Amino acid sequence: MKMRRKSRIALALAAASALALAGCTTVDTKPTIGVGVTEEACPDAVNPENGCIYLGVLSDLTEGPFAALAVPITDAQRAFWKRVNEEGGIGGFDIDIDKYTRDTKYVATEHAAAYKDIENHILAIVQSLGTVNTEGVLPDMISNNIVAVPASWWSGYSFKANDGGIILETGYSYCAEAMTGLDWFSENHYKPSVIAAVGYPGDYGGDSAAGVQKWADINDAQTLVVPTGPNQVVGDQSKVIATILQASPRPDAVVIAAGPAETAQIVGGLAANGFQGRFLGSLPTWNPALLGTAAAPALQGLYNHMSPYEGWDGTSKALDAIRDSLNGETPANHGYVIGWALNYPLKAALEAAAAKGTIDRETIVSVIDGLTVDFEGMIPAHTYGPEGKAAVAQEVNISAVDASVELGLKTIAKFYKGTTFDKSDYSAACVASQ
Amino acid sequence: MNDLIHSLIFGIAQGSIYALIALSFVVIFRATGVLNFAQPALMILGAFATSVFAIDLGLNYFIALVLAMIVIALLSMGIERVAIRPMVGQSTFSAALITVGLFIALYVISTRLFDSKPRTVNDPWGVSALCLGGNLKEEWGFVSCEGGLIIYWHSIGKIVLATIVIAALFIWLARSKYGLAMRATSMDQETALAQGINVGGMFSTSWAISGAIVALAGGLFAANGSVIQSTDALFALVALPALVLGGLDSLKGAVIGGLAIGILMNLTKTYQTAIAPWLGLNFENVVPYIVMIIVLLIRPYGLFGTKEVQRV
Repeated sequence: MKMRRKSRIALALAAASALALAGCTTVDTKPTIGVGVTEEACPDAVNPENGCIYLGVLSDLTEGPFAALAVPITDAQRAFWKRVNEEGGIGGFDIDIDKYTRDTKYVATEHAAAYKDIENHILAIVQSLGTVNTEGVLPDMISNNIVAVPASWWSGYSFKANDGGIILETGYSYCAEAMTGLDWFSENHYKPSVIAAVGYPGDYGGDSAAGVQKWADINDAQTLVVPTGPNQVVGDQSKVIATILQASPRPDAVVIAAGPAETAQIVGGLAANGFQGRFLGSLPTWNPALLGTAAAPALQGLYNHMSPYEGWDGTSKALDAIRDSLNGETPANHGYVIGWALNYPLKAALEAAAAKGTIDRETIVSVIDGLTVDFEGMIPAHTYGPEGKAAVAQEVNISAVDASVELGLKTIAKFYKGTTFDKSDYSAACVASQ
Repeated sequence: MNDLIHSLIFGIAQGSIYALIALSFVVIFRATGVLNFAQPALMILGAFATSVFAIDLGLNYFIALVLAMIVIALLSMGIERVAIRPMVGQSTFSAALITVGLFIALYVISTRLFDSKPRTVNDPWGVSALCLGGNLKEEWGFVSCEGGLIIYWHSIGKIVLATIVIAALFIWLARSKYGLAMRATSMDQETALAQGINVGGMFSTSWAISGAIVALAGGLFAANGSVIQSTDALFALVALPALVLGGLDSLKGAVIGGLAIGILMNLTKTYQTAIAPWLGLNFENVVPYIVMIIVLLIRPYGLFGTKEVQRV
């Protein structure tokens, strides 16, 4: 009896110890948290037992000039993080990007005000649309260790002097895009001798034009920079068409970094006036609606589109996941593909921080150097941290217009890598500031 | 010479749309004294409605245009009844501010509903054209006219349709019983009421007519061979200088002001880079506002507007 009592006591003590140890173990494996992370579940949490990581979105969601692209970008981001949450979240936390999504209308002051509004409530920013807007809040983000994913492709993001090492850009810069795209153009069409660089100065057109200039310098060609603006600002693109047609020597290739409607006018207008050259269009130049315009035949015959990401006809695991997230629907445009791709680096950074046992801003910043991100095949895996050329993913996907393909673009060269970029001086941003 | 004629024709076509938009402003202003800043948003909604009927439902462009005019007329009437009628008796400034809010709301709605996929309207003209006195060439679906005068069919279409609608409106206002009642209401609401005119009904009618006209402007504007986006609503702002030039309360002034601004912009586009290149690219977009400032400085009531007389 005595023995049995002692046994019971020993058993009780062992059980209590085990329970305490189990409790301690649980506490030890849950990461330490910082600003923008709560032990409480997210609103409408997929996993109510998880805590919540809040990420900010600063985008153009209603009336700004990039809403057509930014809305599907943001929709894709929601779908991406829903998928992450459905897979259990990260380190015992679900991710919420809805609570601190703000419409900044592509206005720098609105962007800054919205940033200030969410600054003290978020761990990081999963979308900051526009280089100029992002640059406006960059010093504050750097001083507060807020890592941000830009929905913009400025060459300056390859340099810590510009971004303080807190920007997680995806794909190439517009500058690199122009150089690599022209390499492909030379190999597959003809080597241009005079290239017109048409685009929005002070925005992505500036970086693209700088890339065209670098390519021309290395490949003994000439450049004609033709600044323009959106139709809502400049009326139409007739000045661009006239400038190119009247130029001497006349360009034999045109690189466009403008919007889709402007691209259709430029390509159609030049083709109609006997322009014999071809066109390369930057990432934002295409929208499937162009297939319904008068410029469609010219676009099909004379235009190629460039993208750092696989197209809608891609075969990667990421594209399969994208299509699954849409339940068989086709997105309005390629913004959805872009939006999906933007999330991988921050997901990897969150996972790396969770593995280190701390999910806070400082840890997120600390894991960026050397962080290798797998994009599930939609762009090649990329390692963050190095500067300059090493920081740039220069592979370009080239597409041709094809009405029989969903979203109207058929990939004809996948992850093409040229030679000019490696020969170029990429020791600083191609344009100092957008 | 060909350049001059081409600029004039293109200017008249563009000016026809400005004239329609300016007219839509004036119709409401004369009836209610309110400058309706929601018109640009109604214009782009008219363009999108035309696109929905023509592309999504596969209707003929002209039927789509008429249906869009009806839809926007009803929407415009609804706006008047819900947001403007309660402001009767309040200052027109307050009502105008409400229309600014309406513009933003309608603009955001149009962006969310339609803008992720820019639209086309399946118009019958595309970029087909007449070539007078030259060699017509076609490449990639576009035509060019070597050594001759090119006139796009969409320009002719815009001029013809706008002329028909404007003429019909003027005749209706001048000769019909409703037109007379509308004119009476615009002159003196209390007297019109005393004569048994349904003033509220006249308000609704004027908003409906204005909505239909601006929807027509949107549908014609969208027939450009390219795509339309909600940001194109800003195009309608050029109607403001046309309005100021013609006179805020003059139907005739709206038409002449719109045509004048369209022609002036196109002449500037054609000749400015040769005559005054130092003014830079796209100076034609500045011209309407320079005209507006000059008119406001020397003749603030415009070419045909009513000169305001104040008792002091």
